[in-house]
Amino acid sequence: MECGKCVAVCPMAEMYPDFGWKMSPRGVIRRTLMGEQILGDPVIWHCTGCNAGTEVCPEGVSCRELIRGLRQLAVETGEAAPIRNCVLCGAPLLPRPVDKYVQARLGNSVGEYLDTCPACRQRRYALRNA
Amino acid sequence: MLDRRKTTDTTLSLDDLKPQPRKRRPPRRPPVMLFDPTRCTGCGDCVTACEKRHLSQNLPAAAAIRVLRSEESGKNFALFCQHCREPLCVAACPTRAIEKGEDGIVRIDRRFCTDCGLCAMACPESAPLKDPVTGRIEKCDLCDGDPVCVKQCPEGALKLTRGKAFGWIKFLRWPVQTLSFFLLVLVFTGTFCYFQAGAVSLQCPAGFLQNLASSRTLWLAGLGSAAVLVVLTLMLGRVFCGWICPFGFLLDMVGKVTPTFGLPRFLKKRMIKHGLLASAVGTGACLGFQPFCTVCPIGSLCRSYGPNGILTGAQMAIFPAVAALEAGERRSWCRYFCPVGAVLALAARIGLVKIVIGARQCKKFSCMRCADVCPVGIIDRSALQQGISPKIPTSECIMCLRCVDQCPYGAAKIRFRWQKTAPGETVF
Repeated sequence: MECGKCVAVCPMAEMYPDFGWKMSPRGVIRRTLMGEQILGDPVIWHCTGCNAGTEVCPEGVSCRELIRGLRQLAVETGEAAPIRNCVLCGAPLLPRPVDKYVQARLGNSVGEYLDTCPACRQRRYALRNA
Repeated sequence: MLDRRKTTDTTLSLDDLKPQPRKRRPPRRPPVMLFDPTRCTGCGDCVTACEKRHLSQNLPAAAAIRVLRSEESGKNFALFCQHCREPLCVAACPTRAIEKGEDGIVRIDRRFCTDCGLCAMACPESAPLKDPVTGRIEKCDLCDGDPVCVKQCPEGALKLTRGKAFGWIKFLRWPVQTLSFFLLVLVFTGTFCYFQAGAVSLQCPAGFLQNLASSRTLWLAGLGSAAVLVVLTLMLGRVFCGWICPFGFLLDMVGKVTPTFGLPRFLKKRMIKHGLLASAVGTGACLGFQPFCTVCPIGSLCRSYGPNGILTGAQMAIFPAVAALEAGERRSWCRYFCPVGAVLALAARIGLVKIVIGARQCKKFSCMRCADVCPVGIIDRSALQQGISPKIPTSECIMCLRCVDQCPYGAAKIRFRWQKTAPGETVF
């Protein structure tokens, strides 16, 4: 079914100026189904992993889970994963494009805390202040 | 409303659906939740209460407060949204679901939220919490001003307050400054640099150093009178700059009416004043008179009034120049250039007292009031943004006590220099 509701609600449209069919959840799903080489495509790393598409899908397709699976496959097949890792614990933090977006939106006020994952950040904040 | 004409020939963006909120003045005293780590036992009643806050309305909810327990240190810490004055989550949210309300509470609009979690990535303490099972983002909305966690906390570690600043220190400082201005400028003519009343004599320490260099004679009386101000600085910090200096008072007055535009970077070096002091003493030794004292704005101000109070030549030029610096930054002269301040800074570096921003009470990035009011700009904004309570360099602090006066949570305090103030801090 090609209703395109997920594309309508996808926040990526607002985040990236080059948002198009290829990057949209519909495009990614389509190309996956057609068996195209999508694992090496950087567009799968643009997703924020939000719940919007899953919520509106009449067929119950979870594009969040789909992207998660695609990324896992991509890592397993040895593609270079553009992921920023937490400097403290090494856990994957954000895909590079999403990270770039966050940094651009925060502008000058970015601090070194942006390098850490939420769990480490919370622990460090607590240690500093308790 | 959606404008049909816009949809036909232009691309529709989020601005048409939900325009960027206008910059509003934040409310003066927003409600905030204070957390006292010394009282917290880590029981987690706040988390339970928070999970059940929507029980009567049958709405889904996860806890918006998290208790971190540390086994090694035995310390507990409750994490929750601080409702920043300029929230970073609002800036980072791609769907503009987060808004700061008129009442100062930052709320997530559930209709727009996509649970993407970018707000947690932008927050300095990751206060928007992601439920590990459902992936739902939950953030404190202070229960619209009546938080259940505060009511449920058995130890009283959480407290709802609107903050209360002292507010009376300025009523002490302004009269003292005015009085010393009138005394030093109008009553004792030509005084601050050197004056003698009976057995009591006072001398400007920078002037004393230049005098020493130029005349190559050490006057013991001069040494004693110059030491008065240095000893005062050793005991109380640079109170002279903040409370007594007549030129500082004039700069404060000028600063009240001029807007600030910032200074070029090459001027913003606090070592410049030490360099000026050294060069003033050096040229004094070479030339045999006191070159800086002839143009010193503090001294010229003192000499400007009275029977022979005439500003001549370079003195006439120095006043507008220094007053114009005030349009760059508040007290730019005192921050970067004043050689008298340089001498006092050396004394204050080993002085007895310091101003501290207490780590426990300070609300860090969500408030930053102290950084706003500090006239010499020594409170580190980037440290506050990282969630670290800033260390205030004693040598640069002019002890005006504006931060102590204005902190709504009583975090800015006067302490002796050997007192510990933050966990894991090394003193000295």
